[in-house]
Amino acid sequence: MNLKRQLLLVSLLTLVLPWAGYQFIHETESALRVGQQQMLAGTAQAMADSLARYPEEFPRGPSGDETVADQLYGHPLGNQPEVDGYFHDWNLERASLRELRGVDGPINFALGMAGESVFLYVEVRDRSVVYAEPGSRRPDSGPAFFDAVSLINTSPPYLNEEIVFTAEAPGPVIAVRSNQYGIGPDPAITATWQDTASGYQVEARIPLSKLGTHIGVVVSNTADRLVSPARSASFASRRPGALVSMSPGLEERAANLTQPGMRLIVTDVSGWRIALSDSMQADAAGPAGVGSRWLRIAYDALVETAAAAQLAEPDPSGRERRDYVAQALSGAASAGWFRSPENDRAVVAVAQPVIADGEIIGAFMLQQSTAAILSLRNEGLVRLMNVTLIATLLVAAALLGYATWLSRRIRRLSVAAEDALESDKLRTALPSAGSGDEIGDLSRSFSHVLGQLGDYNDYLRSLASKLSHELRTPLAIVTSSLENLEHEPLNEASAGYAARARDGADRLRRILTAMSEASRVEELMQHAEPEVFDLCAVLESTVAAYRDVYGKREFVLETKIEAAPMSGSPELLIQMLDKLVDNAVDFSADGDTITIRLAGDGGVLRLDVANPGPSLPERMRYQMFDSMVSMRPGKDDKHLGLGLYVARLIAEGHGGRIDAENIEGGVNVFVTLPGENHGE
Amino acid sequence: MWQIVAMARRIAIVEDEAAIRANYADAFTREGYAVDGYAARHEALQAFDVRLPDLVVIDINLEDDVEGGFELCRELRSRSADLPIIFLTARDSEFDAVSGLRLGADDYLTKDISLPHLMARVAALFRRLDAIQQPQSGDGRIVRGDLEIDTDRMMVRWQDQPVNLTLTEFWLVHAMARYPGHVKNRQQLMDAAQAVLDDNTITSHIKRIRRKFIAIDPGFDAIETVYGMGYRWLA
Repeated sequence: MNLKRQLLLVSLLTLVLPWAGYQFIHETESALRVGQQQMLAGTAQAMADSLARYPEEFPRGPSGDETVADQLYGHPLGNQPEVDGYFHDWNLERASLRELRGVDGPINFALGMAGESVFLYVEVRDRSVVYAEPGSRRPDSGPAFFDAVSLINTSPPYLNEEIVFTAEAPGPVIAVRSNQYGIGPDPAITATWQDTASGYQVEARIPLSKLGTHIGVVVSNTADRLVSPARSASFASRRPGALVSMSPGLEERAANLTQPGMRLIVTDVSGWRIALSDSMQADAAGPAGVGSRWLRIAYDALVETAAAAQLAEPDPSGRERRDYVAQALSGAASAGWFRSPENDRAVVAVAQPVIADGEIIGAFMLQQSTAAILSLRNEGLVRLMNVTLIATLLVAAALLGYATWLSRRIRRLSVAAEDALESDKLRTALPSAGSGDEIGDLSRSFSHVLGQLGDYNDYLRSLASKLSHELRTPLAIVTSSLENLEHEPLNEASAGYAARARDGADRLRRILTAMSEASRVEELMQHAEPEVFDLCAVLESTVAAYRDVYGKREFVLETKIEAAPMSGSPELLIQMLDKLVDNAVDFSADGDTITIRLAGDGGVLRLDVANPGPSLPERMRYQMFDSMVSMRPGKDDKHLGLGLYVARLIAEGHGGRIDAENIEGGVNVFVTLPGENHGE
Repeated sequence: MWQIVAMARRIAIVEDEAAIRANYADAFTREGYAVDGYAARHEALQAFDVRLPDLVVIDINLEDDVEGGFELCRELRSRSADLPIIFLTARDSEFDAVSGLRLGADDYLTKDISLPHLMARVAALFRRLDAIQQPQSGDGRIVRGDLEIDTDRMMVRWQDQPVNLTLTEFWLVHAMARYPGHVKNRQQLMDAAQAVLDDNTITSHIKRIRRKFIAIDPGFDAIETVYGMGYRWLA
């Protein structure tokens, strides 16, 4: 992982900024919520007290053996539905339907109030629908039985009657009323019977004036005319429960109390909703545009808590059964947090008992959306996210820039150091040497190390010539002594030793000559007067000479250009070629072909000397042209690792470069030289 | 024993290395020369005040006197224009060789040279000295166009003007010009010059020879380099 990536990774740490900001906003929001809840509770208290002045508007709770389950709720219907046997125009959810256990499956029904009428809708599952026989009026007047829906209509203790809906065929149904005064059809009641795949459904409209205070629904289901039907009733006790519906007086008062963004619900002591005023929608527009979809998702993931997961909507059954309502009905003010379905915003709800004369007669609920808090929070979050995003980007960009700058400095330094090492200019100034930071230190240490290496290389280079110079005098003593010795009478053994000593001295002299060659070449190059000559012609002549000298090698000369004019000393270039060819011969075997190639391109001449043989170790590539570096495995007094060094001196003295590469099955040493091109 | 009876030529060796001095002295003595050895410049000059030798062999580096040999050469040349002076030194740089020859030395040799080669050179120098003092016989003359070689006096003339060559240079020109058109390789030239020379020394010598001819005749191009082989004299 490079420096740039590392610093980018570090810059990701700035992402804790939004977390810290969120914590702060969350705290603020909690405080605001508590504040709003308390304020709302105060308001609710005042409103509940004002409603407590109208205890007559609150229905009494179940009395005697009546239970809440026996009571029925008349849902307020906005418009009068058409009596067609279908539920869809009631504008109620199916969850509003009460369920009874029937013999052939659940029976669902609902009562609705619209204007001066009460509507009944019943859905019965029945495996076999038994229609009434024409003319018959009572379902259980035996001996024939048939399916029927009945409404038990009482107003204890005065009224006690039954309104029966039976059908001779699907379609309009005539209701039959039976009470202590008699039995007969009532044309004021309209009803429609519809068959369904699983049974039948009945819708009926009964004028409110014909109904009492207590209502029960009974479904009679028979499978056979001769068997008396099974009855499913909405009430468990002897008599039906009370019909609870909206109180117009309370509704009106509640509407006056409601402010935009609030929902107000009043229930009786059993939790039946008797007033509802909802203007929460009015405030829904609010700051809804804040944040995009993904931001919304991010908020929800971060901010919305499980407590706010439930919807705050009025219970579709008509009876409020949430905990906070139950608590209020048991006398304690309470609060809860909910979620509004329209915009998913949190809704705070408080419930207060309505107490008249020390008796709980109902509950008062006030809900308010937290639009203000939410908008505060959302704006805060958006601003926080924006600021954080910008800050993160800025930090990342700054770190990236810094890393780029830093890595470029380091790279420049390393490239410069490598260049210096490769081109052997070990005392050049390295970049960043002047800066006071660690890279400057690094640069200075590099310079120091390179300088020492340069000193060492210089020492090596001068070592050969110094050594040869110093050894020449003692060698002269040895050789001249031996030559004098030849003129003295020696016995055979002595003469042998003398001859051997001469051989040794001779070899020593050759070594010394080779050692001083480099310095002589350098000297020659300083004094050489460059002449313009054709390297092609020189090569042809020279290679011809090599064929004579090295009879056991084949020589191939490939010149890709017709003439290669260049400026310099042909003798020195030949000497260079001698060294390269000598090297190529030493590393190849008898019968091998040594290829000498000359190519020119754009004013640069390239001379290759390739020989088959062992490959070069990669680490030797640069070193092999240095002084006193030899790769010859055996002992060879002729070679002190100076030949290629001399070749390099000559190449560089002509403004060229020498390098070596491994080729397939051998080694290629190549020299690039500046050509003398008249056009350029 | 007859060498001693005859008037032996005196050779002075100025060399700070006693062993070399003794070895050279022995060799020269064996050849019949009278030898005087000196270790330092002042010592030698004092002796030369009394009597000049017939030939001087000088080392450049004399004890602490790094350039003592050059000083001595200059001094001697000012006293005698035709006294043969040979530098015999460990210093093999081109610069030293040029300096030495410019001071009027007849030859500049490195200590690589073998004793027989040294003897041959000394003998040649004496032979030349003798030939100059005698009337020109015309026996040893070789003429190749503009070139005229007097093998006795070891003199070369180009377009009738004398070319001032050292002994080594003379032998090189002689070797090439004797058979014009024939390529002489380095080994042959080395043998002819009675010296062990490396490639670069031969190249320098040929360059120096060319320069000397060109000084007389700017159009001189009689010495041709045959790359990779050697040199030849063009008739």
